[in-house]
Amino acid sequence: MDRVNFRAKVLTGHLKNHENLAVDLLQTAQCVNYSPPELSEPLPDFNTKSLRKLLDGESMDEIDYIFNLMIKSHLFCPRERGGKVFISPDFNKSMEHQREMTMRRIDYLREQGAFDGWLTRKGPDAERSGFARGITFGVYDHSLGIKLGVHFYLWGGAIQFMGTKRHHDKWLKPTEAYEIIGCFAMTELGHGSNVRGIETITRYDASTQEFIITTPCESAQKYWIGGAANHATHAVVFSQLKINGVNQGVHAFIAQIRDANGNVCPNVRIADCGHKIGLNGVDNGRIWFDNLRIPRENLLNSVADVSPDGQYLSAIKDPDQRFAAFLAPLLSGRVTIAAGSMNITKIGLAIAIRYSLSRRAFSIHPNEPEVLLLDYPSHQRRLLPLVAKTYALSFATEYLKNIYVNRTRESIKTVHVVSSALKATATWHGMRTLQECREACGGQGLKTENHVGHLKSEFDVQLTFEGDNYVLMQQISKALLKEISAAKRRNKPVKGLGLEHLNKPAPIIPSRLTSSTLRTAQFQTDIFCLRERDLLHRFETEVSQREAQGENMEHIFTVTYQIAEDLGRAFSDRLVLQKFLDVEATVPAGSLKNVLGLLRSMYTTIVMEEDASFLRYGYLSTDNAAVVRKEVLKLCSELRPHALALVTSFGIPDALLGPIAFNWIDANAWSSVKDSDTVFPVFTNML
Amino acid sequence: PFCPSGKAQSTIKPIRPDPIVLIKESSNVRIITLNRPKQLNALNLEMVSRLLEVFHAYEEDPNVKLIIMKGEGRAFCAGGDVAAVVNDINKASWKIGANFFSKEFSLNYLMATYTKPQVSLLRGIVMGGGAGASIHGRFRVVTDNTVFAMPETALGLFPDVGASYYLSRLPGFFGEYVGLTGARLDGAEMLACGLATHFVPLEKLSLLEDALCKANTSDPKVISNIIDEFSNKNPKLKEKSQYFRLKTIDRCFSRRTVEEIISALEKEADKNMDDWISWTIQSLKKASPTSLKISLRSFREGRLQGVGQCLIREYRMVCTVMQGEFSRDFFEGCRALLLDKDKNPKWKPSKLEFVSKDMVDRYFTALDDRDWEDLKLPARPKSNLPSYAISKL
Repeated sequence: MDRVNFRAKVLTGHLKNHENLAVDLLQTAQCVNYSPPELSEPLPDFNTKSLRKLLDGESMDEIDYIFNLMIKSHLFCPRERGGKVFISPDFNKSMEHQREMTMRRIDYLREQGAFDGWLTRKGPDAERSGFARGITFGVYDHSLGIKLGVHFYLWGGAIQFMGTKRHHDKWLKPTEAYEIIGCFAMTELGHGSNVRGIETITRYDASTQEFIITTPCESAQKYWIGGAANHATHAVVFSQLKINGVNQGVHAFIAQIRDANGNVCPNVRIADCGHKIGLNGVDNGRIWFDNLRIPRENLLNSVADVSPDGQYLSAIKDPDQRFAAFLAPLLSGRVTIAAGSMNITKIGLAIAIRYSLSRRAFSIHPNEPEVLLLDYPSHQRRLLPLVAKTYALSFATEYLKNIYVNRTRESIKTVHVVSSALKATATWHGMRTLQECREACGGQGLKTENHVGHLKSEFDVQLTFEGDNYVLMQQISKALLKEISAAKRRNKPVKGLGLEHLNKPAPIIPSRLTSSTLRTAQFQTDIFCLRERDLLHRFETEVSQREAQGENMEHIFTVTYQIAEDLGRAFSDRLVLQKFLDVEATVPAGSLKNVLGLLRSMYTTIVMEEDASFLRYGYLSTDNAAVVRKEVLKLCSELRPHALALVTSFGIPDALLGPIAFNWIDANAWSSVKDSDTVFPVFTNML
Repeated sequence: PFCPSGKAQSTIKPIRPDPIVLIKESSNVRIITLNRPKQLNALNLEMVSRLLEVFHAYEEDPNVKLIIMKGEGRAFCAGGDVAAVVNDINKASWKIGANFFSKEFSLNYLMATYTKPQVSLLRGIVMGGGAGASIHGRFRVVTDNTVFAMPETALGLFPDVGASYYLSRLPGFFGEYVGLTGARLDGAEMLACGLATHFVPLEKLSLLEDALCKANTSDPKVISNIIDEFSNKNPKLKEKSQYFRLKTIDRCFSRRTVEEIISALEKEADKNMDDWISWTIQSLKKASPTSLKISLRSFREGRLQGVGQCLIREYRMVCTVMQGEFSRDFFEGCRALLLDKDKNPKWKPSKLEFVSKDMVDRYFTALDDRDWEDLKLPARPKSNLPSYAISKL
């Protein structure tokens, strides 16, 4: 009966209201207006261009040039929303359409000279410009970035690094001109991260001076080979090399897999990997080789060769070292992924923050305007630490690019460890940020045209390709352990990888932390170093104890993964902090330096708050952890006035942000309904 | 801004019979007429100041709903009165020139972000500063005799008045082409590329003006419909229109540098030489090398910036030009084209390859001068900006 009464009351309410509707409307007809954050937010108190220069460095012009090329072509799906033109990758389109469009875009970019010199120019500047291009194409569409990355970094890189002059002369120019299309056939169905375990076999026939490539079983089929399903004409094939019955380990060969008309070559079978949760503009395929014969010259012979009469020749005796040399091209892939991940993070944050500076929800007092999302401390806590982390990781990836392009024989180990650390840290941060931004945009985050949600599925693959993140973390710890054991054995101080702090006495952390202590570079460095030092010590102890008990090394590393992962993170966080301090040191005193100081404090404080290891191993007491937690809130409110300027400094053009980053009311107005799903046809009224 | 006539030097007369900016009130419509027909309505400091004042006042005035802009005589406006500017600089200081541009660019910004619709009736010549005084507005009506150009690179200057905003937003790389070569566009071409919103035949322009006055509205949709009634929706592009060359233009003008643009054009010429290609190459070779390089960079930056940022950057550039420390091409260009009229400017540096990146960078950094400061844009209302204006911020 209560229920009936209740329903009746509700219905009467509705009916009564209905009678008064016209009157009510007249009294409360206050509409929500879009107010651009540029006008409502305080003017930036630092130069946003200078901050961007710290992020993009020398590459700024190259990046903007590539943005320009894409924004100006009708091939990049320009759409008009709320008076602005946006470009975005294909969505709601078939896989076949996406693949076709990706190739057409590549064709357009090639025609404009965007790839000129990518492989044929040499030196650090040329490599830096290559990174800038690859990464910027990926900002528009991950498929475009990956499709080009496979062709230039993997196929082109393999020729450059594993091949010798004869390969460079023959293949690099046609690659740059897209007369041939390359792919990189390494992964197999049965073997991914464990490249040494691949099962493809290559033998040598001295009578015809040819290699014969064979796929001996189903698990040996090449799998996930980007470009193989539709377009690639050539492949770098990774295979065990058997000479006179002796397996010489993994080597790389050039094989033609399609003719100029796009028909699959004899003795090669190719199948599609099928539809994926993202990245459908890339035609991942599977390849089987049925005793495919290739000329002897097609062995990429920078570290080992086979003589015409069939003798195996190598300057490097140790198969492990030979293998390491083979993996060099993958390093540039990791650099690109780390840096590319920072770009999508920037897009997500720029969209979510701009939206939160124009969207309101709930009034705190009756009859007052609703509150801007970013004025809620909880919303600040969700987004602003991610902005700080993005800056910190971007500075670190810029450093990674620099050590990569200036690499030497001695520094390659550092590049390897740093690229592993940053690839994992940056991609984890990227996915986490996109998820947070998606939620921070509410339902709008679900709309594909608003980018944030779409980017999640497009970039998810980054967590596992070119090295599973967890595997990479463990590899870092192993490398660190090797470093300090070697130093101990030689009785010398530790050098390199930023580990010099281990030679000094352990830093002392104040027992009672205060807000001002938390913000000093000294304390931040101390606690990050302490954590790394202690975890390294614990890892070393556990490994040596198990070793003393006679356990096998491989087994030891599989069971010590918990501490190895903690250590990997500690290394990465300490490295990032150091690079941040290096960047800060280049900036003269003033408002920009102050903001950088705030961002750095936010970065370190949030790491301490979020990473359980600080409490788990006692680097922070529970009292100090409470001080840290409070400090996060304070830092959020201090960063709040800079929010717009900080995402503006990311330098992502408006056209690459989603409509909700701008006038989302007009973008959704009734007048825009009729043409809402048509690609913007002509530019007649865009001014 | 640029005045091709060169007649502009002797402009300051003690008594002026007519005001140089005429204003007619018709209910809630204000018709602003640029009234210096002998000088093709070239904008001088007085006109710019007056316009700025009037636009500010009308934005506040609830009695004003719509602004119509037009020019007296055979031109809408041939540009800024640069000869007068050069004269002032020679007599006193480059800062007088800076003052003129600061006012002019402020006016451009105000027009671009104006809360009320501006309809510009573009009869005859629309060049340089004249484009700045119309293209930023909501409606640009062209007609049979409209001639548009941004010819600054031939004068040692660069397309300013916010051109790095609007030219960089034309289809493909058409804006780079128009801005670097100084190519002239007719009304049909302007409509096709988006510089104009409507094409109204010459004989219907005054009828349109009357209809707009009668409608007395500030609703952009209603205004657009009224102009539509008088419009020729599909004016025919002339047979040899450069707009048909868009593909070639894209292929060449999309290149990274001016040098690469020229060599791409020369490659096209090898394949298929014709009058248009040879004219295009010639006009680039005749222009000031410094001007070409700073213009290209300005367009490229402008494409990714809002109109305010564009004007602030252009103000740095134009002040660097007026200051004349790194290059005196502007003064040389004015000498050769407007004063001595030998049409043979001696550019310094004389070749593109001598203009280094560092030299170009100078034009994009703040000036090293104690009393100089960046352009201060006029404040804009926070709430009632139309979305058309918001999208330009």
